[in-house]
Amino acid sequence: MNGARNVLAKLKQKLRGQGDPSAAKIRRQRALREKIWKGLPFIKLLLFTVGYIWLLVLPSSQLGQGTYIDENALQPGQVNTYWNWGEVHHADRILEDLEQLRDRNATHDEIARYVVTEFEKYGIPARTQSYSFDTIGGEISGTNAYGVLQAPRASGTEAIVISASWLSRTGEGDGTLNLRGVSTVLALAKYLKKYSLWAKDLVFVISDGYLDGMQAWISTYHGETQPNMRAEPLTLQSGVIWTALNIDYPGHSFSHLGIFFEGLNGRLPNQDLMNSVSLISRYTVHVPTLVYDHIDPREDRSQPDLLPAWLPEPFKHNRDVQEYASRAKNIYRHMNYQARGAASGVHGLFHQFRIDAITLFAVPATGPHGFHALGRILESSLRTCNNLLERLHASFFFYLLVAPGTFMKIGSYLPSAILVGTAMLFTGLGEWVKAGWTISPAGVPSSEGVQSEKAKPKDDKRKWQRRHRPVLEPVAIMVLTHILGVVLFLLISTSWFAANQKIAGPITYILFTAIPFMASAFVPRAPSSHASIPSVLKAFNLCFTSAIISITSVLNFSLAATLAVFLGLPLTLASPPPSSSPLSARVAKYAAYSILALGWLVLCPEETRKAIWNWEVLRVWFAPFVCVVYVPLVMQAGLVCLLPS
Amino acid sequence: MWWRGCWKSCFVLALHLVAASAQGELFDEDLTLRPLRDGRLEARFSFTTLLKGASPRDPESLRQDDEAQHYTLFPLALGQILREHAVTELHLTLNAGKWNYDHWGYPDEPGVGTGAELWAWMGDTSLTSVDQRWQGLRQSLAGLFCASLGHLDDQRTTSPTLTFQPEGSLPNFTYPHQLRHATLPSEHVCTENLTPFLKLLPCKSLSGIAHLLNPHRVFDADWHGLGVHVRYRERIGVEVRLAFQAVLDPVRYSHDGRRDWSLRSVFDRIVEKACPVARSSKVQVELPGETSYTLSPGPTDVVNDMATYELTSAQEALDVAMKWPGENSFVYPDTSQVPPLTDISVRRNLKGASQAEARLTIEVTNNLPVQVKSGYLETMPWHLQFYLHTLRAYIDDSQRDDLVTILSYAPPVPHSRPALLQAVLTLPPRSTLRLTMDVSKPFLRYTEHPPDAQRGWDLPPAVLVPFAFGEDDSPEFETSASHEANSTWTQEREPYPRRPSRARRIYTPVMLVDLATPDFSMPYNVIIMSCTLIALIFGSVFNLLTRRFVVVRVDSDPATPDVNSVGGVADSVGGTGAAKKTS
Repeated sequence: MNGARNVLAKLKQKLRGQGDPSAAKIRRQRALREKIWKGLPFIKLLLFTVGYIWLLVLPSSQLGQGTYIDENALQPGQVNTYWNWGEVHHADRILEDLEQLRDRNATHDEIARYVVTEFEKYGIPARTQSYSFDTIGGEISGTNAYGVLQAPRASGTEAIVISASWLSRTGEGDGTLNLRGVSTVLALAKYLKKYSLWAKDLVFVISDGYLDGMQAWISTYHGETQPNMRAEPLTLQSGVIWTALNIDYPGHSFSHLGIFFEGLNGRLPNQDLMNSVSLISRYTVHVPTLVYDHIDPREDRSQPDLLPAWLPEPFKHNRDVQEYASRAKNIYRHMNYQARGAASGVHGLFHQFRIDAITLFAVPATGPHGFHALGRILESSLRTCNNLLERLHASFFFYLLVAPGTFMKIGSYLPSAILVGTAMLFTGLGEWVKAGWTISPAGVPSSEGVQSEKAKPKDDKRKWQRRHRPVLEPVAIMVLTHILGVVLFLLISTSWFAANQKIAGPITYILFTAIPFMASAFVPRAPSSHASIPSVLKAFNLCFTSAIISITSVLNFSLAATLAVFLGLPLTLASPPPSSSPLSARVAKYAAYSILALGWLVLCPEETRKAIWNWEVLRVWFAPFVCVVYVPLVMQAGLVCLLPS
Repeated sequence: MWWRGCWKSCFVLALHLVAASAQGELFDEDLTLRPLRDGRLEARFSFTTLLKGASPRDPESLRQDDEAQHYTLFPLALGQILREHAVTELHLTLNAGKWNYDHWGYPDEPGVGTGAELWAWMGDTSLTSVDQRWQGLRQSLAGLFCASLGHLDDQRTTSPTLTFQPEGSLPNFTYPHQLRHATLPSEHVCTENLTPFLKLLPCKSLSGIAHLLNPHRVFDADWHGLGVHVRYRERIGVEVRLAFQAVLDPVRYSHDGRRDWSLRSVFDRIVEKACPVARSSKVQVELPGETSYTLSPGPTDVVNDMATYELTSAQEALDVAMKWPGENSFVYPDTSQVPPLTDISVRRNLKGASQAEARLTIEVTNNLPVQVKSGYLETMPWHLQFYLHTLRAYIDDSQRDDLVTILSYAPPVPHSRPALLQAVLTLPPRSTLRLTMDVSKPFLRYTEHPPDAQRGWDLPPAVLVPFAFGEDDSPEFETSASHEANSTWTQEREPYPRRPSRARRIYTPVMLVDLATPDFSMPYNVIIMSCTLIALIFGSVFNLLTRRFVVVRVDSDPATPDVNSVGGVADSVGGTGAAKKTS
């Protein structure tokens, strides 16, 4: 008994140390802090490595889980479909009419009027809506047609939208017509009117153009205005839209059903919707589904190989590697849409109003499916949407769809960007602490005696001395760069820039590289007893970037991941030059950063134009975000390298 | 054989007895069928029972035992409720669907608001308050009709006397009458409501036109609703009218898109025999303006485009059928071309995508070439709160606030009472008046959310009553407005004497509003999270409050702490540690 107590006491003593427990605690804290400080480079490296490797591992076949239906009310695929060859014949007849309209170059108005007449023939009230947008590239105008099938027996407080845009999403609206999609919607309208089982109003929309028509329609429907948009008010109204299906059928026939889901500003629809449609398509109608239009080369030999040619043969035939390649392709496409905040189809415009929407894309092929299969998929999917008692809320809103039946939860991919952000935060804090201290030779009395710490004389003769950290100047530099970003944004969204992009791009690049460079001459030098401005600027820059990455990651993971890749290492590696370094070396570094910040002005004019268009017409935040957040952050890193310490 | 004959004679004897004792009670039934221009068919069943010479119970007599009630035709279950709560006038409607005024015109039964609507006029005495009796009434009716009328509580009850004036007369009690009105738009009418409804009829659904009320068909109709209307007719008696109204779609039922209909095709039943106790029993068909139709069999009587079939004399089963032999399939009229069938058309929307605020827009179009004045009533649960100062009226984008007059507004009390907004709108000829008003969406307590919380809240319809046609003002309305001030009605009055045929209520469609809704899928997560946070906060605050701060000397010799030394408390971050700590 006694022995046990002794052992316990010894253990306690070992853990707590001797003497005053408070002193021991403080000592322990110091030891811990010291360890962290000593290990900081290692921790930073670890966080960066794990974060970046995590990003690379996302497509791995070992990750992800199977999709499933979470909302029990949906009951996908539980109904018989009655869409039959009679309806297919009707769709074919409408297609003939539409082809005639196309062949004689009918105006937008004529097409819309034709659609309205068809709807009215079926007994569905329909109207047209003409709209126009003023953009820096000129005016965009068109005419939408829409019909509201009032659900019998229902109060009409809820609605489902079935839409097709006049232009297909092929090539992001490159001019391919979506004639068969429009025919499907019209034939479907006639067919669905025969049933009394609809609990929600069905709203059929044939929107003009690719994205612009639906933007005009959906924002007018919700009473939203846009300064550059003129749209007729909608004279037919329905209730709250819960779900929307957009149909895109550009080819003659189709082999697979592709599902597009990314919305504006990185919003995603509830996963239940796409899972239901996918389930119905695969098991009721036996049409295989795809994520986007990515047909797997393992399934179809005619598809180009995903793996690079230089890869050794054994790797090429490894199943995991092949799966990695196919998933990587999906993730890359997803990130490409989401990070830019672009909609991958007309459905993307619905998400801003809390409507779950996807595009069903009939992947063009020589066969075997056509109107018959698509009609049945839509009928069954609409019945599923019709079952909803409340908005889709059960399943996931944040996910990575890596393969048609496989997805990743937010918890499995979010840490990658967060880890990089954390690494940057640690670097920034480390810089901040480092800026606050300097080693002064022994014997020199400390200028700030109160704050100074006494070092043990039996150690080396140096001692650590606290020094003043300038805060105002770095903050002023940051604010000014962000203001410069606003100016940059205002400049590139002028019609002058759009008209002369070839010249204006390089001029703007030079201008916005030169302005901070010139202005840097006016930045006062901190006295030698103080910390240098670049070092504090770097600390602030890193902490701010880290905060931005972390916050963005929960809103738009792809954007955060892209920022982590583009800003993570470059900003960390920016270092205040030693005072001895020549001006040319500093300028070279600054120029490199300016390419990273503003290179897109010269290198991707098309991308710039699109981003501006997306901002003007669809209110996508990507262009202002790049100008006001991304560019200034990189320029700050450039200034860190440029400013004399 | 002998037994059967005996039963038969007994039955006939019983019937005679019934007829003899029913002298004080009269039962009339009729069915009106009206082909609509969009190919649909409106059917209105009306069953009227009159209790001759009876009068509503005086609420003063509630303290005494009521007189015994012996009815033969009058529904006893309903009669007991009426007497128990001393209700003078009662209107209950349970509807499904959205009435399309533009294409179907005014309904024969004016109460077509989606969901349940209940309103009653009751004498107000100090004995038992109107509110207590109102509560009892709705709960009794909820039990009688298997409907969720119990939800029509104080959060939904208002007293819009201007719009819901008594349809009968009010007995000359020594005290005023009060109105109670409530709507429940999310109520769905179903077979379980029809069964108790049919039980109130003297012939149930066994004979007479009530036989046509086949739940499989009437609940498949595009619009259907049942109503119970009780009113007191001075010097005549108490009248109970049970009504069922449906808009059927023969085009949908037919395979080749024709609008031909017959009782068999739309109800899947025919009138086998008349109800023996009915004084009159008839089927009326409104004849369409065009002439290309045929009606079979030949009607008993045709007056003013209204063909009548008397059922009392009919020995054979009746199956009325209307055919358009010249039509291959029905051609729908172009909805943008045909003029609306009502004087005014109304659209009401809630715009905006935010969860905190929205904008209520109501557009009223005057379809007449003369100016129309219309009452406007909005009874809004507190789930939507008006910013009344933002109420604007526009005609073609020019602001015309002068067109909204006699505005009265009772603001809502959150968590208890709804708002009541009444106004008179002046509608210039052939123009559209657009009213907009900002509304805020309050934050609900989490216990106030209904099941299926993510659905949102159904909001009741607004009601418009066009009452004055032409340029001059209606003096009658002014007097009724002054009556409105003390909310009392003591005498019988025809609602709108100038053009009574036009003074009809128009219900707007109901709306759905999204309020900020917590994620109820994981309530425990929320509870656990909040508990953890509270524990953490409590822990740190408690720690700070109870801890004593002392200066501790930290040096190589931990055994002798020195209070005077500036030690660890002033310790600072990071790098110093490395240089400082030596031993």
